[in-house]
Amino acid sequence: MSKTEAGARKGASSRPQKSGPRGRLARSNDRAYFLMAIPALLVYALFYLYPTLTNLRYAFSEWDGLQEAKFIGFKNFTRSLTNDDTFYKVLGNNIEFTGLVVIFQTALSLLFAIFLLKNTRASVALRTLYFFPTILSSVSVAMVWQFLYEPNLGPLNVFLNSIGLDFLALNWLGSETITLRAVAFTQVWFHTGQMMVVYIAGLQQIPQELYEAAEVDGATRWQQFKSVTWPMALPTTAVVMAYTTIQSFRAFDLIYAMTQGGPNNSSSILVTLIYLTAFNEYRFGYAATQSIYLIVFILVLTAIQRRLLRTRY
Amino acid sequence: MKKEMGAKAFKLMIAGLFAISATIVPVTASFAAGEALGAKCTTEGESTGTKSTSLVCKENKSGRLVWAKVKLSDSNLAPIRPLRAPRGSIEFWHWRAEDKAIFDKIIADFQDLNPGVKVTQVISNSTDYTNTALNKVRSNPKAAVVTTFRGSQFNQAATAGLLKDLSNEQFAKRNVIKSMMGAGQYQGKQLGIPYQSLFNNPVYNIEIFKKEGWKLPKKFSDWISYCKTAKAAGYVPMAWMGAFRPQALQIINSSLMNTASTDAQLNAQISAIDTGKDPITIKWVKDMAGKYADLRDAGCFPDNPKGVTEAAGNTLFATGKSPILPTGSFSMGGIVKLNEKMDGNMGLTGFNFTDDVNARYTGITNNTFILGINSKAGRTEQRIARAFISYLVNGEVATAYANGTKQHVTVLDVEYTDSNLRNTASIMSERLVLAPRFTFLNQGVRDILEDALIAIVGGETVDKALEEGAKLIKQKLG
Repeated sequence: MSKTEAGARKGASSRPQKSGPRGRLARSNDRAYFLMAIPALLVYALFYLYPTLTNLRYAFSEWDGLQEAKFIGFKNFTRSLTNDDTFYKVLGNNIEFTGLVVIFQTALSLLFAIFLLKNTRASVALRTLYFFPTILSSVSVAMVWQFLYEPNLGPLNVFLNSIGLDFLALNWLGSETITLRAVAFTQVWFHTGQMMVVYIAGLQQIPQELYEAAEVDGATRWQQFKSVTWPMALPTTAVVMAYTTIQSFRAFDLIYAMTQGGPNNSSSILVTLIYLTAFNEYRFGYAATQSIYLIVFILVLTAIQRRLLRTRY
Repeated sequence: MKKEMGAKAFKLMIAGLFAISATIVPVTASFAAGEALGAKCTTEGESTGTKSTSLVCKENKSGRLVWAKVKLSDSNLAPIRPLRAPRGSIEFWHWRAEDKAIFDKIIADFQDLNPGVKVTQVISNSTDYTNTALNKVRSNPKAAVVTTFRGSQFNQAATAGLLKDLSNEQFAKRNVIKSMMGAGQYQGKQLGIPYQSLFNNPVYNIEIFKKEGWKLPKKFSDWISYCKTAKAAGYVPMAWMGAFRPQALQIINSSLMNTASTDAQLNAQISAIDTGKDPITIKWVKDMAGKYADLRDAGCFPDNPKGVTEAAGNTLFATGKSPILPTGSFSMGGIVKLNEKMDGNMGLTGFNFTDDVNARYTGITNNTFILGINSKAGRTEQRIARAFISYLVNGEVATAYANGTKQHVTVLDVEYTDSNLRNTASIMSERLVLAPRFTFLNQGVRDILEDALIAIVGGETVDKALEEGAKLIKQKLG
């Protein structure tokens, strides 16, 4: 008897045997479950697995998107790491953008949620107002903020100049040092209302007794926040941070409509760089490589987040 | 055998008669229309227009200047009538959303002429179109009429064999102005019909220039003086939109046009940058970039130039805060939409970056919106596309398109009735070159060079901006 056959028999004997009507039912249920999963599996394979694997193939190629791809080994990967200042610049932008958005969006949405927690008329009205930007399309938001940020005619600078704060009237979308931050602010404005709603739902789950007990113990508002609200809101914070991180990686439409990644790539993040490399320069192979690095970047970030949150709980 | 020869000779005779009559009839018609009669022919090369019946001033055998029939098309024959389309539906892919209404009307008329035919416009904005259209139409059998930009996009489509050869189509030979077809040619084949004739030259506000008593600048030092004078008078000398690279760097055409002594040399030096053979720190680029610094120092650009959006730039010009819009004739339609009073109040002028008023070129033209047939489309769809393009290059239809969209076109027998189109006629007398910006075939390289020029306008030194750009280009092509 061969080793394989022996192994197969051993495996078969160790499995619990199903016999009789109940066993037949279980087997037919298994088959039904499997069949039911097939459509989803096909969709997943066709729209996710196949493009991902194809992307992997193109990452090792030189391809202009229209003609035959040419295999070039690891050349694209080494080029990104050793001979592409733009890639590093954009990676740095991505870290800064994600950092700014995650910190400010999380903090502001928590702040708004705390202030608007009670279901009074004014709170409900303000919640609606803060939530409003979320329902707008990102291109509309980009157009509005492009207008607001316009350095010479834009309302923001006109206002700052009129109240004597000329030194604050900056070249919001034309300066390489400011543009990324200006776009990050727009992203925060765009999505804070949405995260505020998530926080409100989370904060409303905190038992009122905990606050009453803290009050009896003489805790101030700040102490109540520090010792009750914040620890109890940590699971919601985890959700908000994870979601905000994803949103910041998907800010392509907002950035592209506002600045096209400019000036001089100063507001480009990895997704805009990938798009421009592929569709503006027709270097699809190199763009595929950049997207592999993006996946790696997201994996690393996710791992760090998971580790931090695990330590917290 | 004898009988066969006779039939052949008869056919040849008929063809010959047809050719002669096709030549004579338009010439006679032009005289009948009084196009040249009464106007003395004094300047060689002067033409009476872009009609199939137009005349050109030419020296005859005895050395006298006389009016002669101008052969604008590639044929002696008159333009053909639109072809018939088989039943079916196609998509017409382009980026000109502003032309949708007029195309809707043209398409409705085309559909009336060809029952059972449906043409649907698929429009995306110019940036998206540049970036994604070719990939999308490649696998779409309905996307039969595809437009491309001159330069890298057309080149990309041609290289990939995406465009059907139109060299033998009668409408490509007889209905369009031959000298404007270069942008649609690839390796000796006519793969597309450039439909529009644009002028990428500064647009000026006629009224302001008249009111202030200014003369149009003719050479670079005039531009510097103009900027200083206009700024002193409280204007923004040029409504330059540095936040939007495609429009901001329309002036790169003017700054490139006289950087070489021949067209071949100009093409060769751009190609050397494009392929990385020469860095952008080379002398001729440095000299050109230095002119941007000169313009900046003379106060030609708005404050915070790198942050000025396209909308803001157009507003500056449309509201009379700026007398010059340094983009091109294609912006005029949008300006009129912003301010109706600007209708008929705009002219075009060349932007000479040299101090020689007799420089080789004084203005820019560009033939773009290249109409092509997608070779990957279905056979019936390709036939409908062929008929549709033949319809678009019909004089009457092109007249409606030109006046409706305020664009010059490359089609024969077009009557320009729009005052803005008539006002731009002055640019035609300039020495025009086909926009050199689109000679760059590597968009990535061109973007880096243009970013460096924008940085210079924004205050960066010429050396630093070009050195940084050169490094990035080297990495990109490395």
